[in-house]
Amino acid sequence: MTPALAIQNYTLDYVTAAGPVRVLHEISLEIRPGEVLGLVGESGSGKSSLAWALMRHLPDNAREVAGSLRLGDVDLRRLSPRELTKIRGRRIGMVFQDPSTSLNPTLTIGRQVTETLTQHRGLKQSEADALAIDLLGHVDLRDPAAIMRRYPHEISGGEKQRVIIATAFGCRPDVILFDEPTTALDVITGARILELFARLREETGVAALYISHDLALVTRVADRVAVLKRGRLVEQAPAADIFRAPRHADTQALVQAVPRPERRLVHDKSSEEVLLSASDIEVHYGRASLFGHAPPPATKSVGLDVRAGEILGLVGESGSGKSSMARALTGLARFSGRVCFDKHVITSARDMNAAYRRDVQIIFQHPDSSLNPRHKVGEILSRPLKLYGGTADEIPRLLEQVRLPASYAGRWPHQLSGGEKQRVAIARAFAARPKLVICDEITAPLDVSVQAQIIELLLALRAETGTAFLFITHDLNLIRQIAHRIAVMRRGEVVDLLPVEDFDADHVHPYTRELMAASPVPVG
Amino acid sequence: MTELFIRLIRRPQGFVGVALVALVAVACLFGPALAPYAPEKIDFLGRFRAPGWQNWLGADQFGRDILSRLMVGARSTVPMALIATFVGSAAGAIIGVGSAYLGGRTDEAIMRTNDAVMAIPGLLMALLLVSTLGNGAGNAVVAIAVAFAPGMARVARSVALNVRNQDYVKAAIARGEGAGWIIFREMLPNVMAPIVIESTIRVSFAVMLFATLSFLGVGAQPPASEWGLMVADARQYMYQAPWGLIAPSVAIALTAIAFNLLGDGLRDVLNPKDER
Repeated sequence: MTPALAIQNYTLDYVTAAGPVRVLHEISLEIRPGEVLGLVGESGSGKSSLAWALMRHLPDNAREVAGSLRLGDVDLRRLSPRELTKIRGRRIGMVFQDPSTSLNPTLTIGRQVTETLTQHRGLKQSEADALAIDLLGHVDLRDPAAIMRRYPHEISGGEKQRVIIATAFGCRPDVILFDEPTTALDVITGARILELFARLREETGVAALYISHDLALVTRVADRVAVLKRGRLVEQAPAADIFRAPRHADTQALVQAVPRPERRLVHDKSSEEVLLSASDIEVHYGRASLFGHAPPPATKSVGLDVRAGEILGLVGESGSGKSSMARALTGLARFSGRVCFDKHVITSARDMNAAYRRDVQIIFQHPDSSLNPRHKVGEILSRPLKLYGGTADEIPRLLEQVRLPASYAGRWPHQLSGGEKQRVAIARAFAARPKLVICDEITAPLDVSVQAQIIELLLALRAETGTAFLFITHDLNLIRQIAHRIAVMRRGEVVDLLPVEDFDADHVHPYTRELMAASPVPVG
Repeated sequence: MTELFIRLIRRPQGFVGVALVALVAVACLFGPALAPYAPEKIDFLGRFRAPGWQNWLGADQFGRDILSRLMVGARSTVPMALIATFVGSAAGAIIGVGSAYLGGRTDEAIMRTNDAVMAIPGLLMALLLVSTLGNGAGNAVVAIAVAFAPGMARVARSVALNVRNQDYVKAAIARGEGAGWIIFREMLPNVMAPIVIESTIRVSFAVMLFATLSFLGVGAQPPASEWGLMVADARQYMYQAPWGLIAPSVAIALTAIAFNLLGDGLRDVLNPKDER
């Protein structure tokens, strides 16, 4: 039987000012009809380049050195642009990472779905409309006829991704490429998209290439998994085996880095002494204008207390108000309510004195934007030292504390990798010798393996300094590894605040149970 | 920096811009030394002499050599325009970034005032100021700077609003930095690129505005060889000696085009997404 998609000895270079850079080394992969192949790799491993090569949409500086790409009996590399438009969307579909940018904001959903159908299946507009309603209903969208008339900004991210999946399946392609389709969605929405994918796949028997950096997730959706490392294929194995018995060292490292709730990384007990207690916190964005009311607060009288030396987890889906809490506690957002810290009562950002600002530090999600691109690392680290007492001589010690060489003080942020930037941000927070560090999704933009290193570093720093952490995340598996207690937030309210041991018990809130069910637990 | 310069002169408009600006700079620096005659040397035998071997660009109504006057006059035209643009841009940038940082009602108040000032046309504004402050080159510089600041504030604010939402600014606020540090050290360096580009383009407007003020008699005063003033002087003799009008006009136009091209080139080169 001919494979649905066959890649043979494919080698790809990007030509840059510094000469050609090889991004893919002799990749050979086959996907049989009806099979789902998972492709796993860190960022920069070349997995998206492979997807774009298959779609024949490479950037201008790409040079294909060798190899062949075959879709069934068609050689994709030999096709003319005219022939390609007949293949793309018709025989090979693609679902992108970010649903918010893959739909045209100026066209209705109906236009965008039916356009593909009339183009590739030669349907009349009325037939296409009927089929589109059928397809949208099939991906569990409520009231598809109404959705057809809406514009992309009028539906949610999960709904957009469903529209894109419906369009991709609509032309009954042979192969669909999925490029991290759930990364931009929150946990529960992502889990529903995966369920939908599993169902559609069973019904249509389509072959798929599923690209992701999350090994745990891929093992749940794929039949076979291929691991890509710096443009080289290091291992291919059935999904069930790769987790249980990874052969290659790089795969083993990837498996090791996947967070598992049963493998605790913190073993001590936190003290009973309360460090920070917040009560009735309501975070307000925007003000009442002359002609309208102020928007409702982002959190509804939330109460939290952090104990000295404790790791308190704060989980919830996007929009649940967890980042708003971080902003309120650091004085970045207007809030009402009371914060009690070290016998000092705070009711607004004005009450936060230098001592509070020193003791409570925040680390942001995106290291690219939390370090000023026009300041060198040394200058970035010297500011907290200058503000809170300390001298520039401490910079090498700070860098060493986060396992970076002292010479990095002379570097610009853009010369560092994502993980290294996050280390600098951590060093900046710890330069103040804080009592509480608020980590706002600090590992979300990082690869699983880098995430594991950052977590290890935070725990080492905690052992050294006894700092408490408020760790905000959407990754329940990760937080169950490290937290003493976990607060679950939903729509601005805390629905659960439990010691981590109680998470397997029966008395958890139904929403918490839903969240746990949606977190991909590794197979095997 | 050198790499930036190489990329700038690789593109045609950048190269022409740099070459013309260099020419103007040479005239500003060495004009008096290179000029064949003294700018105010009157030669009654050579009144309205047509361009030729004696006076390359001709002579004016007093027989003064136009080329020499242009070369010496560059010094009183171009640096003035540069100073006016620099002062106006710096003031505008600080107002814009400060307004973006403060936000809320303060931002509204500053920007609406700014809009009100912007509603007055630049030339009218400059004329108004010069007539209040009194004639003279120095006051013309102040007037042009004031006329330029609101537009610059607008550009700076729009960029600064993006920067304001970056986490490094939030981090600075969270650790309790003062407003001065945040505006000048965290935000300003990150809005510099568009401001530099905008101000190079504005230099050409300043050259023209300054010449216009002198032409109207409120900028530089005779017998200075400022270019706008030269055009104003030569106007009466336009039919007898058109070269007296054409030469300084061309000089003004060339300088304006030079800075415009340089600004265009810089805009392309400083755009980090441009990888060519």
